[in-house]
Amino acid sequence: MVLLKIEDLKVHFPIRGGFFRTVVDYVRAVDGITFELSEGETYGLVGESGSGKSTTGKAVVKLNDVTSGRILFEGQDLSKLSFGQMKPYRKDIQMIFQDPYSSLNPKKRVVDIIAEPLRNYERLSVGEEKKIIQNYLDKVGLSPDSMYKYPHEFSGGQRQRIGIARALTLKPKLIIADEPVSALDVSVQAQVLNFLQDLQKEFKITYLFIGHDLSVIRHMCDRMGVMYRGRLVEEGTSDEIYENPQHIYTKRLIAAIPDLNPESREKKTHLRKRVENEYKQYRSKYFDDKGRAYDLKLISDTHRVALP
Amino acid sequence: MKKPILQIENLTTSFKIKDKYYMAVDHVSFSVSENEIVAVVGESGCGKSALALSIMRLHNNQRTKIEGEIKYKERNIVSITEAQMNKVRGKDIGIIFQEPLTALNPLMTVGDQIEENLTFHTKLSKEKKRLRTLELLTQVGIPFPTRTYKQFPHELSGGMRQRVMISIAIACNPSLVIADEPTTALDVTIQAQILELLQSIQKETKMGIILITHDLSVVAEVADRIVVMYAGQVVEIGTVKQIFAKPLHPYTRSLLNSIPSAVTNKQRLHVIEGIVPSIVNMNRDSCRFSPRIPWIPRHAHEESPELHEVAPDHLVRCTCYKHFYFQDHRGVKITNGIT
Amino acid sequence: MWKFILRRFLVMIPQLFLLSLIVFALAKQMPGDALTGISMDPRISPERIEELREKAGLNDPWYEQYGRWISGIVHGDFGTSYTHKIPVSEVIAERIWNTVFLALITLILTYLLAIPMGVLSGRYNETWIDKVVTGYNYLGFATPIFIFALIMLFVFGFSFEWFPTGGSVSSKVDARTFAYYLSKFHHVILPAFSTALITTVGTVQYLRNEIIDNKFKEYTRTARSKGIPDNKVYTRHILRNSLLPIAAFLGYEITGLVGGTVIIETIFSYPGVGQLFVSSIGLRDFSVVTAIVMMLGFATLLGTLLSDIILSMVDPRIRIE
Repeated sequence: MVLLKIEDLKVHFPIRGGFFRTVVDYVRAVDGITFELSEGETYGLVGESGSGKSTTGKAVVKLNDVTSGRILFEGQDLSKLSFGQMKPYRKDIQMIFQDPYSSLNPKKRVVDIIAEPLRNYERLSVGEEKKIIQNYLDKVGLSPDSMYKYPHEFSGGQRQRIGIARALTLKPKLIIADEPVSALDVSVQAQVLNFLQDLQKEFKITYLFIGHDLSVIRHMCDRMGVMYRGRLVEEGTSDEIYENPQHIYTKRLIAAIPDLNPESREKKTHLRKRVENEYKQYRSKYFDDKGRAYDLKLISDTHRVALP
Repeated sequence: MKKPILQIENLTTSFKIKDKYYMAVDHVSFSVSENEIVAVVGESGCGKSALALSIMRLHNNQRTKIEGEIKYKERNIVSITEAQMNKVRGKDIGIIFQEPLTALNPLMTVGDQIEENLTFHTKLSKEKKRLRTLELLTQVGIPFPTRTYKQFPHELSGGMRQRVMISIAIACNPSLVIADEPTTALDVTIQAQILELLQSIQKETKMGIILITHDLSVVAEVADRIVVMYAGQVVEIGTVKQIFAKPLHPYTRSLLNSIPSAVTNKQRLHVIEGIVPSIVNMNRDSCRFSPRIPWIPRHAHEESPELHEVAPDHLVRCTCYKHFYFQDHRGVKITNGIT
Repeated sequence: MWKFILRRFLVMIPQLFLLSLIVFALAKQMPGDALTGISMDPRISPERIEELREKAGLNDPWYEQYGRWISGIVHGDFGTSYTHKIPVSEVIAERIWNTVFLALITLILTYLLAIPMGVLSGRYNETWIDKVVTGYNYLGFATPIFIFALIMLFVFGFSFEWFPTGGSVSSKVDARTFAYYLSKFHHVILPAFSTALITTVGTVQYLRNEIIDNKFKEYTRTARSKGIPDNKVYTRHILRNSLLPIAAFLGYEITGLVGGTVIIETIFSYPGVGQLFVSSIGLRDFSVVTAIVMMLGFATLLGTLLSDIILSMVDPRIRIE
């Protein structure tokens, strides 16, 4: 079943200029993208900085204004809802942020951080609330006495888990994870990624996983979309994208991933040279006269590529 | 045998915290030869950046004690004066930092920041300096050198800034360049370009490179030898081939198994229990990694762990590697699919 | 740049209009008017005063009075002073240069004191020199300027007689001679120094913190990694970056000083706009008071504009079009 459907989403930010600071142009951060997430799957959105992947995630929870297009969550178009009307849906859609150091209020205790969304939606007695929070702390592997500590007393990985516990309390159906492990060391990253997978099994959560580390995305996601300058250039299952990339941008991206096997250095250098030549030669074929990627076209049941 | 450029022997760096000194780098020894890339890997808090700054002596003098020897071409630079060290920094040894936006002066043009290096180490005339700077900018692959020369750091993209950073480091043709997480802040395609650039410069100048990184896949791509650090100590050292083919120390193996691309799809990643100990409260007498592999019996570890040569140029600390095996979160020994 | 300045001036118009309304309303709220003073005089009958009031338009509805006043201002006419019997603009013009001179000298002294103190205590923080400077700062923050100024006046003006205790120039010298300018300077030095010694502490503290902040910045580390000697690292890198916010603050600083002269000019009987302001309130010479307030308001707006312009000139990251 489709849980989230993004239809021709556009997020444009105005550029002001001239004497009266009028709008002279737009930054087309997200410029017409369409994709959908089925219940219980993990969908990856990859791209480099400035590709619009984070803006897309933020648009779903309305941290950004939507210029046009539809965001259908269980059939309801969120893009048309006012801030107040969004309230019931905010419960179902939670967000996890990149930087566990700055996304937790340093002046609040862990108990207050985790209980915040809960207090917004439910009237619970102190005892009930404590019980729920203890339960979630246990889930994310933190001891019950961490409740009355402050964020600075925790390591990066633990903080990220506090952020996840906060996102979980309202039993969301969809979690938007915006680069949730980019600021963490590999072993801590492994811990958080395993944990996100366990949660998915237990609560049937759907993830929109935004990231720039392609090996992390591949490890986590069933399907993924590759973004470039506000457009999707390719979409498919993780294997399709990694083993058989079709768009020149995807090819370059995949070729750039460093390989863990030192024996394959030469092969890799060779591949990169080949892709780079192809990029130089045929780049224009993959983009229209304005340098914008074409609309996605199906090339197999699951694989879509932006080709003319 | 290649000529060693830098020989580090028993280097120990201690930081003063509340009137007491604590070792952040603990008796580290290794060397770097001409035309060689030595990677120093480990997680944050393992002392790898402290090591990089120690070689350049860039720590705060009042709070840091450096002991041991750092021999740059036979000359111990630990004991020379600050003025003598200034003749080494930027001229004989260059350094590239992680975040090029904050590592460049926001109020100075790119050209001025590169030329500064030449001003303090050469007697070139103003015009000669300018020409050399433009040449450097071309060398690091900046498309419009004359324009970039006059630009400020904020006007450049992350990749371009890192190129500028590199041209500052190599301005005086140093024999050694320390690259402290040079690609961590960059996108993957730019990362590939920057690594390629460093290698191509090395091909021309035969400089030695110390690459400080937490990313083992970057190491696999470019390094010749690897120094794995944990809690301030070297726990394993060897050639790239040795370490990727047959990693021995439990920490090296754990790190490799926590990388998503190393394991086959959807398999659980290995998680290292606990956290890296802080330099203030750390048990320095026994195997420092033992608290993170509690299922390995105590007798498997050495009393005060030493580095053992297991193959030519391949050294491992402690004896616990002989008895080490992985176990999953339920405490079951893992036998398949793990290096 | 010119476009930016022009736009800022256009934005100032509604701001000044709002200010004028507030100023006018406050002036009207004050008890009495310009004729209250002479109504104490038994030789003038209340009827005569009422007649004068009527003639001066003081009995008209407020909006008519405001309309007259504001249209006058637009034409550069601030009305006539009741006490001086000459146009307000002339009264102010006589004294404004004294105030500007005082403010300028104070400003120069403030920075002359602040920069070396801030740099030394920032560079050598946690040493005895830093402790001395920080101690002085705390004293400066704690001391009210009017008390300090009175002490200075007593010690250096009355006891030692090193400096004059009032006026802006000696009456014994001829205008436009060297002695005349020397005397002007002699008169301004004590009030300026008294103010600077106190107002400088904010800048010292700010600069100190900036220096400490910048010396641990990554670009400073890069500079040191080039083999630049410590002294040069300070002059070429740390100082420039640390002075940036202070330079940007200059405009606001000027505004603050112009306002601050009200107290200092009164204490030192220095014939400037500030002293005029205080005496005009006492005499209920409202046309002068309102004109000065309008002027100070305008100076404030100019100060903020100046700050923005300075910032855009010294910081390449900020550009105004």
